[in-house]
Amino acid sequence: MPETTPVVEMRNIKKNFAAVQALRGVDLVLHHGEVLGLVGDNAAGKSTLMKVLSGAYIPDEGEILIEGRKAHLTDPLHARRLGIEMVYQDLALANNLDVTSNVFLGREAVSTQLGSFGVLDSRHMEKEAKRLLDRLKIEIPSVRLLVERLSGGQRQSVAIARAMAFNSKVIIMDEPTAALSVAAISKVLDLVRELKAQGASIIVISHRLEDIYSVSDRLMVMRNGRKVRDCPVAGDIDDFRERVVAYMIGARDDFADAVAV
Amino acid sequence: MSFKDILKKQQHNIREYGMYIAFVVIVVFFAITTKGLFVSSRNIGNLVNAMSYIAVLAVGMTLVIVIRHIDLSVGYLAGFLGAIAAIAIKYWHLPLYATIPLVLVIGLCAGLLTAFLVAQMKIPAFVATLAGWLGYRGALQLATRSKGTIIIENDVFNALGNGFIPDIPGIAFLPGIHKVTLLLGLLAIILFIRGEISSRQKTKAYHFEVLTMNMFIVKLVFISAVIGVITWVLAGYQGLSWAAVILIFVVLLYSYITTKTVIGRHIYAVGGNPEAAQLNGISVKRITFFVFGSMGLLTALSGMLYASWLRSATTIAGQGMEFDAIAAAFVGGVAVAGGVGKVTGSILGALVMASLTNGMNLLGWDISIQYIVRALVLAGAVIFDVATRNRGK
Repeated sequence: MPETTPVVEMRNIKKNFAAVQALRGVDLVLHHGEVLGLVGDNAAGKSTLMKVLSGAYIPDEGEILIEGRKAHLTDPLHARRLGIEMVYQDLALANNLDVTSNVFLGREAVSTQLGSFGVLDSRHMEKEAKRLLDRLKIEIPSVRLLVERLSGGQRQSVAIARAMAFNSKVIIMDEPTAALSVAAISKVLDLVRELKAQGASIIVISHRLEDIYSVSDRLMVMRNGRKVRDCPVAGDIDDFRERVVAYMIGARDDFADAVAV
Repeated sequence: MSFKDILKKQQHNIREYGMYIAFVVIVVFFAITTKGLFVSSRNIGNLVNAMSYIAVLAVGMTLVIVIRHIDLSVGYLAGFLGAIAAIAIKYWHLPLYATIPLVLVIGLCAGLLTAFLVAQMKIPAFVATLAGWLGYRGALQLATRSKGTIIIENDVFNALGNGFIPDIPGIAFLPGIHKVTLLLGLLAIILFIRGEISSRQKTKAYHFEVLTMNMFIVKLVFISAVIGVITWVLAGYQGLSWAAVILIFVVLLYSYITTKTVIGRHIYAVGGNPEAAQLNGISVKRITFFVFGSMGLLTALSGMLYASWLRSATTIAGQGMEFDAIAAAFVGGVAVAGGVGKVTGSILGALVMASLTNGMNLLGWDISIQYIVRALVLAGAVIFDVATRNRGK
């Protein structure tokens, strides 16, 4: 065993959809305070792997350990209770509600315990939302703004802040920089670094290799439902890009050999 | 802060203010053209009674539209449930304390049946409730076939739609003025001001922004004055009607549920983005059952108010009420796309539409012209709504 238990360990995960083998025995390790970049071409299996980790899919084979303890994730809420938060690509925000309501969506604070008829503790939630945004250095004029009035980058920040709001251990981000302006991308990447600095463990799925390069500690490449490369992010960006693309498209495929040796 | 800044800050409220202004314009217009008849105590009292059953439906319809559905069945369902109430009283000789809960329970079941079709069987609400529209129409005709119009002779039941709350007898002070109504109005003003002040203090304690003191006082004085004037006008006739009491209760209850409770927040979340709501652990199915269940319950209430108001159940009771309720909601700022709309807005919408009908009737306008005017108001309100919302973005 390594000196510290990884926050997440996935072993030999397999998942089939009818005749399609989406995941053919994938291992994944995420350490505390680490940012792991997950790349691969379309249909490489990275989203499927993350849906397994976030509880949306139940794997056919393999096991998941959260902080060394075996977990059988049955649905996204279960995963969430174990501290695994997913930031979806379409953000899963209710645009008609304000920032506070979205941060607390489905986990509202109440001043009177009456189940669904519990009375919302709005001021407490506003205060906490404001504190959360300040802590993450997210610049949004007011937590009372409706999400539909925010820019794309601000919305992404709200979605990420929500994932951080409830003492989560692992945050999975699906294409956090897709469809954003250059300025907004750099803010979101700053936010990822800030989360890391505050101790979060993060998995970032992205097509933008320069983003992965700039925030990740380690990189995992997937192709055809397999892990084809797992290495620290290092070296020169052009060199890095060239190597990663080679693994993504299958021009190089020596991972299994390297492990076997 | 200059006045312009205040306006800018309040821009997202501009459509709400627009509606209040439109309402005031309508009232002033009819007050002048009818030489004061429109704002007479007696007419306002009648107006409130005549709109109450539509307004109750509009409250339920607001939530249905907020979660992106529609309910076309409520008109005939209200008619059918009114007939059940009439039959229960007249032929089954049930006491009121059994009749009213019975009808409410049947209404609730009808609402849950719609919810089952929509949430469980995945039938579009438009189709499911169109089937309900046909079905309840048939049920209403079946229920009233042998007897035709059923006259209700229960005074207590009829008081729901026609009666007024009692006054304290034997007070010489202010003769001809309904004292209990005045007291209730005064109480409402006191509660309103107390609530606003405590809310402002709490918000301030958390270092959040509040209105400036001057604006705050203007708001308090204005709303208190409105409540005061309405109270005074109503007290000048026979006071507050039971229908108005029921309506106020429904509005307060639903305003509270939609703005202050967890389920209210979840209803709007489902309306804004059902997928997001589901991903965040909100059961869209549960919300759908709750909203249609409440719609059924309010439909039962509306049906009884209507039967009580007419003192009878007829074979065509409830015809077109669903469209009046839907129109009231849209005039009141509920968005067709879902997620947006307040209960208080829909009540104002119902009030606007009822005032138009009432005022035009007083002026003796041709019924065909009345329909066209209401059409223009409905279309105009939604155009204004869409325009302000787009500009806000």
